[in-house]
Amino acid sequence: MARFPRSALTALVLCGGLLGPVASPARGEVCAVDDTDREVCLAAPARRIAALSPGATELVYAAGAGERVVAVVAYSDYPPEAREVASVGSHTRVDLERLVALRPELVIGWVTGNPAEQLERIEALGVPVFYIEPRSFEGVASAIERLARLAGTRVAGDAEAERFRQGMAALAERYAEAAPVPVFYQVWDEPLMTINDDHLIGQVLNLCGGVNVFGDLERLVPRLDEEAVLAADPEAILAGGMGEENRDWLTHWERYPELTAVDRDNLFFVPPSLIQRPTPRLLEGSRLFCEKLDRARERRGEQGS
Amino acid sequence: MERMPTTPTPALEARDLVIDVPGRDDGRALDLCVAPGQVWGVLGPNGVGKTTLLHTLAGLRTPRRGEVRLDGRPLGALRRREVARRLGLVFQERHDGFPAAVRETALIGRHPYLSPWQLESAEDRRLAEAALERLDVAHLAERLVNTLSGGERQRLAIATVLTQAPALWLADEPTNHLDLHHQAAVMALLAEQAAEGRAVLMCLHDLNLAARWCDHLLLLYPDGEACWGPADAMLVPEALERLYGQRLATAWVDGAPVFVPAR
Amino acid sequence: MIPMIRPLGALALAALAALALSVALGSVTLPPEEILAALGGRGEALSRTLILELRLPRSLAAFAVGGLLAVAGALMQVLLRNPLADPYVLGLSGGASVGALLAMLAGFGSVLVSGSAFVGALVSTLLVFGLAHGHGGWTPARLLLTGVVVAAGWGAVITLMLAVSPAQRLPGMLYWLMGDLSHAGTPWPLLALLLLVCLLVVPLGRSLNVLARGPLQAAALGVAVRRLEWTLYLAASLLTAAAVTGAGSIGFVGLVVPHMLRLVLGNDQRLILPACALAGGTLLLLADTLARTLIAPEQLPVGVITALLGVPTFLFLLYRGQ
Repeated sequence: MARFPRSALTALVLCGGLLGPVASPARGEVCAVDDTDREVCLAAPARRIAALSPGATELVYAAGAGERVVAVVAYSDYPPEAREVASVGSHTRVDLERLVALRPELVIGWVTGNPAEQLERIEALGVPVFYIEPRSFEGVASAIERLARLAGTRVAGDAEAERFRQGMAALAERYAEAAPVPVFYQVWDEPLMTINDDHLIGQVLNLCGGVNVFGDLERLVPRLDEEAVLAADPEAILAGGMGEENRDWLTHWERYPELTAVDRDNLFFVPPSLIQRPTPRLLEGSRLFCEKLDRARERRGEQGS
Repeated sequence: MERMPTTPTPALEARDLVIDVPGRDDGRALDLCVAPGQVWGVLGPNGVGKTTLLHTLAGLRTPRRGEVRLDGRPLGALRRREVARRLGLVFQERHDGFPAAVRETALIGRHPYLSPWQLESAEDRRLAEAALERLDVAHLAERLVNTLSGGERQRLAIATVLTQAPALWLADEPTNHLDLHHQAAVMALLAEQAAEGRAVLMCLHDLNLAARWCDHLLLLYPDGEACWGPADAMLVPEALERLYGQRLATAWVDGAPVFVPAR
Repeated sequence: MIPMIRPLGALALAALAALALSVALGSVTLPPEEILAALGGRGEALSRTLILELRLPRSLAAFAVGGLLAVAGALMQVLLRNPLADPYVLGLSGGASVGALLAMLAGFGSVLVSGSAFVGALVSTLLVFGLAHGHGGWTPARLLLTGVVVAAGWGAVITLMLAVSPAQRLPGMLYWLMGDLSHAGTPWPLLALLLLVCLLVVPLGRSLNVLARGPLQAAALGVAVRRLEWTLYLAASLLTAAAVTGAGSIGFVGLVVPHMLRLVLGNDQRLILPACALAGGTLLLLADTLARTLIAPEQLPVGVITALLGVPTFLFLLYRGQ
C-alpha cells in the first residue's frame, strides 16, 4: 500500500532535483515590467522579437534592437527596413501559426490593439508577451528603455530614450510661458473625431501652449458634430488625414469664414504618422505642432496691425 | 349489433360535457356513451363546433365543463401515448412544412407503440403497407405528401390511422375531397372497423352518408341545443330541417330514407 | 438500419477527410511525414506545437461549432415549423454579445467574457420564452415574432454600448462581435456537448417527425407536445449559446446545412440530426481552413467563406431536381 506513494514521492524529488538548476536565476536573465504591470523575465536577452503593431515595431527599432525583429504586422512601415521583415497578418488577426514558426523569443503586444485571446494564446504556447501601451511622453521613453533591457541593447536604447526625453523637456521649457492658443485637433473626418487632454496628442497640444477646445470631454477620442466646432471657435485647426500629404480635411473648414481659424488662415496639416504613434518620432511631430502654434501667434500681430 | 360482444365499459364516454368555444354560451351539456361496435355520426351546420367537439373528445382541448372518459378512465389521467394507442383521429387540416414520403407518413401511425430507441419493425412496415393498399394509395408510396391531390391526402390520413389501429376512431369529415367511389369505400372501411369490435365517431356534412352508415347520431343545433340517440329515432325530417334551416324532401331507397333539399 | 448507415458513413468520411486537410494545410508548409510524426507526439518541437497546439484544436473547435450550429438550426426549424429559422433567430447571439461586451467593459479576462456571453445567451432564451409565454401559452408564430423583436432590441443595445465605450476597449469588442475561430480555446467541451446532444436528440427523432406534421397531429399520435417543445427550445438554445461562446456568431451554417441535407436525404429527423452534426462540422472546418490559408498571413472572416461555399452548393441542390 505504502509503496506506490513513496515511489511517486521519489520521482517528484528526482524531477525537482533535475529542474532545480533550470528554475534558479540564470546568468544573463533580464526582466522588465510591462504596461499591464506584470514583470516579464527572460533567461537571456531576446534574439528574436515579434512586434504586433506598427508602433511596437518603431519602439523596438528605437531601442536599438531592429536587427532582432523577426516578425511584424501590416502597416509596419517605419523605419523603412521594417518593411522587409516577415509579416504575420494584421494587428487585429495575427496568423499564430506563422508567428510560432518564426520562433520568436519575445512578443511585443499592444494592450488594446491586439485581440486579448490571441496574446493569451501566445503566452500559453510558451512565448513571453510584453504588453505595451504608452500613454505619456515618459511612457514612450520608458518603453524604449524597457525593450532595450529585454533585447540586451541598453546602450543604444537608453541613449535614444534620453534623446527623446531631453528633446521633449526642451520643448516644454521653451513653451512654458507661451501665450495660449485655442486649438481643435481633428483625428478623423467622418465621423468627426478629436482627442481630449488625456490623449498623447492632447498632451503635445498642451506642451506647445495650445489649449484643446475639447480637452475637458470625458472620452479619450470624442465624436463631434460640426456645430460643436463652430461654437468652440478655435484659433487654429490642426488635422492629420488619410495620407501624409492630404489637406482635404482642412479645405472643408474654409466654407466657414466666420471661424477665427479660417479667418486667420490657421489651418495646419501635421503628418499623422509623426503625431499619432507613441514613438520617438513624436518629438519631431511635437516640434512641428509647436511651430504651427507659433505661426498662429504671429498672425495675431498681423491682425492687430 | 347483436353479434357484437357487449363490454361493461363504453369505449368513450362524455359526462356533462360542455365544449369550450370562446365567446359562445354553454349550450346543452352532452352525456354520451360510444360503445364498441357502434358507428356514430355528428351532424350540424357549419361552425356549430363539430371539430372542437372531436378535439375535446380526443383530449386535445380542455372542455369548459364535464369530463371525457376513455375505457372507463378519465382522459386527463392518461398519458398521450396511452391515449394514442386506444384512440385515433383523422384530422381535417394538415401541415407539411417539412413534407415526408407517403410510406413514412403512414408508418408514423406506429409511433405510439415504439420506444424512443426502437426502429419500426418488419411487422410495423407490413401494417403500413396493408393500410396503404386498403386505402388505394400504395402506388404513391414513394411520393412526397405535398405532391398528392386532396383526395389522395385524405386517404393517406385515413391509412395512417388504420396503421395506428386504435380501438376508437374519431374522424373529422373523413369523406372530404373524395370521389363517390372512395367515399363509399371509406365509409365501408369505418363500418368494418366497428363490425370488428371497434368504435367509430365521425363528423359528417353529408346527411345521406350518415343515414346510410351510422347507427347512432348526434345532432348539434346552432342555438346550442343538442340531441342524440339511435339513428332511426334521429332521422326525422322536422328535426333535420330545424338542424340545417333548410326544408327537405324525403325518399326511400332500399328501405332507408334519403333526404334532398326541397325546392 | 442500413439506409441510415450509408449517408452517415459517407458524411463521417467527408468529415475525416476535411479534418486531415485542415491539419495538413496552414500558412507554414510541413511535409506529410512531419505532420504524422507530430500527431504521434514525435518529431520537431516546432511541428508539434503547430500541429497539436494550433491546428488540431482549432480544427476540432471549428468542427464542433459547425456541428452545434447545424443541429441547433435543424431543431429550431422543427420547433418553429419555419424553414427560415436559424439558431440566432430568437436573439441568442444578441444576448451573448451584450453579455460579452458588458464583461469587456468591466475589464474582465477572456474566461469571464466567455462565461458572461453564455449567461447572456441563456438570459435571452428565458426572456424570449417568458415574453412569448405571456398568458395562455405560446405558439411558434408568437415565439418567432418575440424572438425577432428581442433580437432587434439587443442589436440596439450593442450599438449603444459600442458608441459609449471608451476608445481603448473598442477594438476588443469589435473583434468579439466579428466572430472568429482563432479565439476558440480547447475544443473538448464543445465536442463533448455535440456528442451528448446527438445522443439525447436522436432518440427524439421520430417524435420530431411527428411534430413536423403539426402539434395537434403530434398530440393525437401520442407525443407530449408541450414537453417536447420545451426540450427542443432549451436544447437548441444551449447548443447555440455554446457555439456563440466558442467562436462568436457565425452565420449561414445553422440555416442552410439542415436544408441542404433535407434536399438530399429527405425529412427523417433521425437521420437529419446526426447528419447535421457531421455536415455542419465539415462545412465550417473547410471554411475555416480556407479562411486561414487563402491569403495567409492575412486571415479572412470565416463567415465569408461559409457563405461562399454554401450558397452555390445549396442552389445546386435546390435546382438539381427540377
